[in-house]
Amino acid sequence: MVIVRPSLAVRLGALELAYPTLMGSGCYGSGEEYAPFADLSKVGAIVLKSVTRAPRLGNSMPRLVHTPAGMLNAIGLQNPGIDWYLEHEVHKFAQRPCKVIGSVAGFSVDDYAYVCERLAARDEIAAVELNVSCPNVESEGETFGCDPSLTGAVVRAARATTEKPLIVKLSPNVTDITAVAREAERAGADALAVINTVRGMAIDVDRWKPRLGNITGGLSGPAIRPIAVLAVYEVARAVKIPIVGQGGIETLSDALEFFLAGAAAISIGTANFTDPRIPERIVAELDAYLLERHLASLSSIIGKANVAFSTPHEYEGDEG
Amino acid sequence: MATLTHHARVHATRVIERREVAAGVVLLRLDAPELANATRPGQYVMAIPPSGEAAATALAVYEAEGKLASLLFFVIGRRTRELSALDPGDCLAVLGPLGNGFDCSQRARDVAILAGGVGIASVLLCAQRLLAAGKRVRLFYGAKTRELLVDAQRFADAGCELILTTDDGTLGMHGRVTDALAISPPPEMIFSCGPTPMLRSVARYADELGVPAQLALEETFGCGVGACWGCVVPLTAASSQAPGFPREDRRGSDVVHARICREGPVFWAHELRW
Ligand SMILES: Cc1cc2nc3c(=O)[nH]c(=O)nc-3n(C[C@H](O)[C@H](O)[C@H](O)COP(=O)(O)OP(=O)(O)OC[C@H]3O[C@@H](n4cnc5c(N)ncnc54)[C@H](O)[C@@H]3O)c2cc1C
Ligand SMILES: Cc1cc2nc3c(=O)[nH]c(=O)nc-3n(C[C@H](O)[C@H](O)[C@H](O)COP(=O)(O)O)c2cc1C
Ligand code: FES
Repeated sequence: MVIVRPSLAVRLGALELAYPTLMGSGCYGSGEEYAPFADLSKVGAIVLKSVTRAPRLGNSMPRLVHTPAGMLNAIGLQNPGIDWYLEHEVHKFAQRPCKVIGSVAGFSVDDYAYVCERLAARDEIAAVELNVSCPNVESEGETFGCDPSLTGAVVRAARATTEKPLIVKLSPNVTDITAVAREAERAGADALAVINTVRGMAIDVDRWKPRLGNITGGLSGPAIRPIAVLAVYEVARAVKIPIVGQGGIETLSDALEFFLAGAAAISIGTANFTDPRIPERIVAELDAYLLERHLASLSSIIGKANVAFSTPHEYEGDEG
Repeated sequence: MATLTHHARVHATRVIERREVAAGVVLLRLDAPELANATRPGQYVMAIPPSGEAAATALAVYEAEGKLASLLFFVIGRRTRELSALDPGDCLAVLGPLGNGFDCSQRARDVAILAGGVGIASVLLCAQRLLAAGKRVRLFYGAKTRELLVDAQRFADAGCELILTTDDGTLGMHGRVTDALAISPPPEMIFSCGPTPMLRSVARYADELGVPAQLALEETFGCGVGACWGCVVPLTAASSQAPGFPREDRRGSDVVHARICREGPVFWAHELRW
């Protein structure tokens, strides 16, 4: 009997990945930091730390707080700025044994377009992710990703600068994530990353002060997984473009939740801080899972728990 | 600082001994020949709690000799509690050795090591290296109370001159290590590890007397390997440890943020802008 190995390859628009695992932006550096501890050839793609137009020193310390089943972070987008980045960093990415996706952050629509255009001009960059969880300083500081029309404006501006696959990373800090998802799709996104961190805060009760230098931060890790699974489930019903599911994925079972909810690929961030061997383990276990069930590829499971894929179904809101 | 060629990797170690050296302080000896061989003074590992349910945690490599490497830690929270429950024979995966350690090759002949609390874990290899180079090494070692001055004899046996202090006066001088240092003849160089308030006062002392000081900083880590920028300290841009990074356009500022886990954890006190 011939055993046909299942394929773990996925496509996000024109972006073809050998494995369905992305390493989350801001959690994996540029990959070099983890190269001694993980086999990067078994990684679908590394999403780089978000880069901005000008260099940023980032927030004051403390920037991290470990919380039950996760962590809060407020790094403040510390990065060297796009000029330095293009000159000193990007050429190194050609040596990575996996694809590298740039991540762009900005504080105006024009910022996004500018950085996106310059980054996407480089062959080392396989695709661009737009981190729209930033405040719009040209207006009242509202977060781009919390407003469908602002998100649309950013995506349209970025779209006009490049043919490279564009992934838009959605913020969960919204009332209706599907409205933002639809607008991003309409504006030309090739894929959606769902979700970015959830806003949160921790207070030091001995000192009567916030624990983070920035006061508020973004929660990641298993604590946000159910929020992320629901977001993927809902967005999958709302759009046709592929979804990169993320938020607290640490095990095969976590990954399967996201695929079954409708994600075409997954991203692993905070779990690398627990154990950098986790992404490779998930890939091996996914392979075994498909093999055991005689499934030829991941597409056989994507969205299978999402009732919208089989029967149109109006659901009644939350229980309890 | 001693910039180290990176031999870091994942080490699958085995626990050979676990001992509670004082209430809430655990010594974990590991069978880890390659780690022991590669580790330099002041370096640390990220230890992966075996349950897989919590982030890896930074711990200094205390002893490194032959096939043995050890960790000495205070049980303060979930992860250190989990590590403290390991038994001989259990496996423990660690990433390391990590970070840029103490520069023990400096010319100073008469040096002082200042250790506060569990900071002692970071300085044994340093003391051994300095003694082996024939230097006079005074160890100023302070803790809350006498029971927490763990393993002091070990340093004395190795050849350090001991000056002990306790916050409650139960052993040695009643006061802090920096108080003891202030009334002693100044050393030519200081090596120090301990809680941040102590390191700040070491830095003040070093500045006042013009003694160069190497400080091993401690901070809450995320990745521990330089990937997340969660562990930074303000550093003068002129430092050789400043990341090759353009400055944010802030008028007159010469400060950059260096990662404690990657550019550090050991920094020159006079280069910190904290
Ligand atoms: C480079 C480096 C080397 C280190 N080496 C050692 C070492 O050799 N031995 C060692 O014991 N520790 C060392 N530490 C500190 C060690 O990493 C922490 O103690 C550990 O991460 C605590 O994890 P936890 O999950 O047990 O506690 P957490 O859950 O992280 O913390 C539990 C509680 O204790 C508080 N807390 C955190 N740190 C301290 C502290 N230092 N003192 C008092 N309360 C605190 C927290 O605010 C929290 O409320 C080192 C740290 C760094 C950065
Ligand atoms: C320390 C840290 C830094 C992060 N930095 C960024 C960033 O620069 N840009 C971005 O789009 N997302 C950033 N994220 C969000 C992650 O990429 C990811 O979307 C989120 O943490 C949820 O996934 P996880 O639970 O697997 O980490 C960061 C997360 C962490 C924990
Ligand atoms: S802990 Fe992640 S960069 Fe230092």
